[in-house]
Amino acid sequence: MNGPALATGSERQLPTTSPSAWWLVFKQEFTELWLGGRVLNLLILFSVLMSVTAFLLATNNEIRLLPVSQTVTIALTAAITFGLFIGIVISAESITGERERATFETLLLTPGSRSQIIAGKFLSALSPWPVTLLLSVPYLAVLSLGDPVLGRALFWGAIVGSILTIVFTGFGMLLSIWSNSSRISLAAGLLVYVLALTPAQLPAEFQATRAGAFIAATNPLEASRQFLEKTVTQDQPLAETWQYLAAPIIFIALLLGLLFFYAAPRLGLEADGAGMHWWFSRSQKVSK
Amino acid sequence: MTLKPDRVRNKKSTEAATALPPVLIANNLRKTYGSREAIRGLSFSLQSGRVLGLLGPNGAGKTTTIRVLTTILKPSSGEFFVDGTGSEHAEQIRRKIGVLPEGQGFPKGVTAIEYLTYFGELYGRPAAEARKVGLEQLSELGLQNRTDSAIGTFSHGMRQRLGIARALINNPRVVFLDEPTLGLDPRGQQELLEIIRQIARQRNAGVILSSHLLSEMESVCDDVVIMNAGAIVASGTLAEVMGRAPENGALRNAARVRVRVPPESVGQAQQILKKLPAVEQASSTDRSSGWLTVTLTEKGKGAASPDGLGKNKVLEALIDAKIPIAGFETEGNRLQDVFLELTSKAIQ
Repeated sequence: MNGPALATGSERQLPTTSPSAWWLVFKQEFTELWLGGRVLNLLILFSVLMSVTAFLLATNNEIRLLPVSQTVTIALTAAITFGLFIGIVISAESITGERERATFETLLLTPGSRSQIIAGKFLSALSPWPVTLLLSVPYLAVLSLGDPVLGRALFWGAIVGSILTIVFTGFGMLLSIWSNSSRISLAAGLLVYVLALTPAQLPAEFQATRAGAFIAATNPLEASRQFLEKTVTQDQPLAETWQYLAAPIIFIALLLGLLFFYAAPRLGLEADGAGMHWWFSRSQKVSK
Repeated sequence: MTLKPDRVRNKKSTEAATALPPVLIANNLRKTYGSREAIRGLSFSLQSGRVLGLLGPNGAGKTTTIRVLTTILKPSSGEFFVDGTGSEHAEQIRRKIGVLPEGQGFPKGVTAIEYLTYFGELYGRPAAEARKVGLEQLSELGLQNRTDSAIGTFSHGMRQRLGIARALINNPRVVFLDEPTLGLDPRGQQELLEIIRQIARQRNAGVILSSHLLSEMESVCDDVVIMNAGAIVASGTLAEVMGRAPENGALRNAARVRVRVPPESVGQAQQILKKLPAVEQASSTDRSSGWLTVTLTEKGKGAASPDGLGKNKVLEALIDAKIPIAGFETEGNRLQDVFLELTSKAIQ
C-alpha cells in the first residue's frame, strides 16, 4: 500500500545479504549461554548427578544383580532425564529473562521476524544436549563392561534424547513466551517435568492396568523409557517397539507447530499479547 | 490584519515545516485493551530534520503511541506511514526507524562494539561493516575510548548514549526517544539534548522525543504534540502551541511573576515591591532560595499582558534599589503552563 508523498529514504536502504536473524540470535544466545557460564554450571550439576547414579548402579548390591543391559538403560534414561532438566531450565527463562532485563524490546525492534528470534533462541537452548550425551558416554562405557549394549544405548539414546529434548525445550519456550516472569515459567516447566517423571515411580501393578498403559503411551517421557527398555535392554526389533515413539513424535509435531505457527507470530513485549490472551478473554466471556 | 513580528515568524516557520514532505504520518490511530482506549484517534505528522516533542501526564498514552508507531503493538484501527511505508509492513518499517525505549536494559558482559555489531548485523549489515559503523557511532557519541569495555562497567549516561548509538545503527529516517534524559545529571541532560539536535539537523532524521521535563522539550523541540487520556489536546510547532497561552482565559489573566534575588535581599525586596501600586502581594515561601512570588493588582494586571507595564515596574523598582536580579519568570509564558492548563482542562 502506498502512502502519501513522503521524503524518500531509498538512499538509506540497508543490504539484506548478511546472515539470517535466526543465525545471529542463535550465535548471540549460544555465546551468552556458554561463555556466560550458565550452561557450564548446569553441566557440572549434570556430571555430579551422573556420577552419583553410576556409583549407585555400580556399587548397590541389589542393582548389581541386574543384567548389564538393564543397568546401562537405567543410566541412559537418567542421562536423558538430567539433560531434559537443563533444556527446560534454559528455555523457560529464554524470553522471560529478556523481558525482566528489559532487553527484549530492542530485539523485537529489529527487522527479523518473531519466528526467527524464537528459532535462534530455541536452537541455542538445545545446544547443551549433545554435550550431555557426550558427557554420559564414559559413564555408560564403564557400566556396560564391554557389552555390545553400549552401541545400542548410544544410538537409541541419541535419537530418543533428541526427540525428548526438542519436546521439553519447546515446551519451556512456550511457557517463557506466555509468561512475564522467569519464576513462573520455570516453576511451571519443572512441575510438568516432575509430573512427566511420576509414572515411572508408580507401582508395577498400576503400570500393568489400562490406565497405566494409557499413561505410558501418552506421556512422552514414560513412552520413551519403555521404548529404551524394550529396544536397548531387551534388544527387541524396531518393528515391535516403534509405537512407543508415537507419543514423543506427536508431541514434537504439536509443540513445534504451536511454537512456530501460533506463539512465535504473536510474540509480544508482554506475555498477554502472545498466546494466553485468547484463552483468558474466552474464559471471561464464558464466565459472563 | 497585521500580525505581530513573532506571529509572522511563527507562521513562516510553520510554512517551512509543512513544505517538507513528512517522514511520519499517523492517521486516526487507536489502540484499545478490551473496553479501555489507550490512544484515541491520533493524527499528526513529522517532517525530516525536526524534533517533535510528545508530551502528556502519566498514563496519557505516550509510550503506547511510541510502541504502536514502532510496530511493537498493533493499532486497533487507523494507519501510519514511515517514509512511505504503510503500517501493515512492520518489518520494513523497523528497517527505517531507530528506537531508544524507556528503561532499556543492556547485556552486561558484552562490550560496546560487540553490542553494536550484533545489532548492525540484525539490520542486515555484514559483520565487518556493522563493526565499522558501530565504531563510527561510538565515536560520534563520545564513547570512542570505551569501545572494548563491558557494558556492565558503563554509567547510566554512557548507557543512554550507547542506546542512542544502537538506535542510529541502521541510519533511520525516524528516531524515537522515550524519556532519554531520565536519571541523567544536568550536564548529561544537556549533552544528550545536543545529541538529539544533531540527530535531527545533521542526519536529517525526524525525531520523536517523549519526556516529562518540559524545560528540555522547550529547548530542543520544533513541534509539540500534547496528549491527555489517549487523545491529542494540542499540536503544532512549539511556537504555535506556546501561542495558545494568550488565547486561554486562565493564562491570559495570569498576573503573577517570580523574581529571584539574593537571599539576604528578600526582605528588602518584599518591602519595596509591596509599596508599588501595581503589586498586590510579594511573598516568599523559601527565603533561602531567594525566589519571590509577586501578585499584581487588578490595575497592574490590566497592564500585565506579556509586555505589560506591571511586570516592568517590578523590575524597575528592584533595579533602582540596586538589588541584583538572579531570575525572572512570568507565569503563562512557559510550555509548562500551557501543558498544565491544557491537560487539566481536558481532565475536567
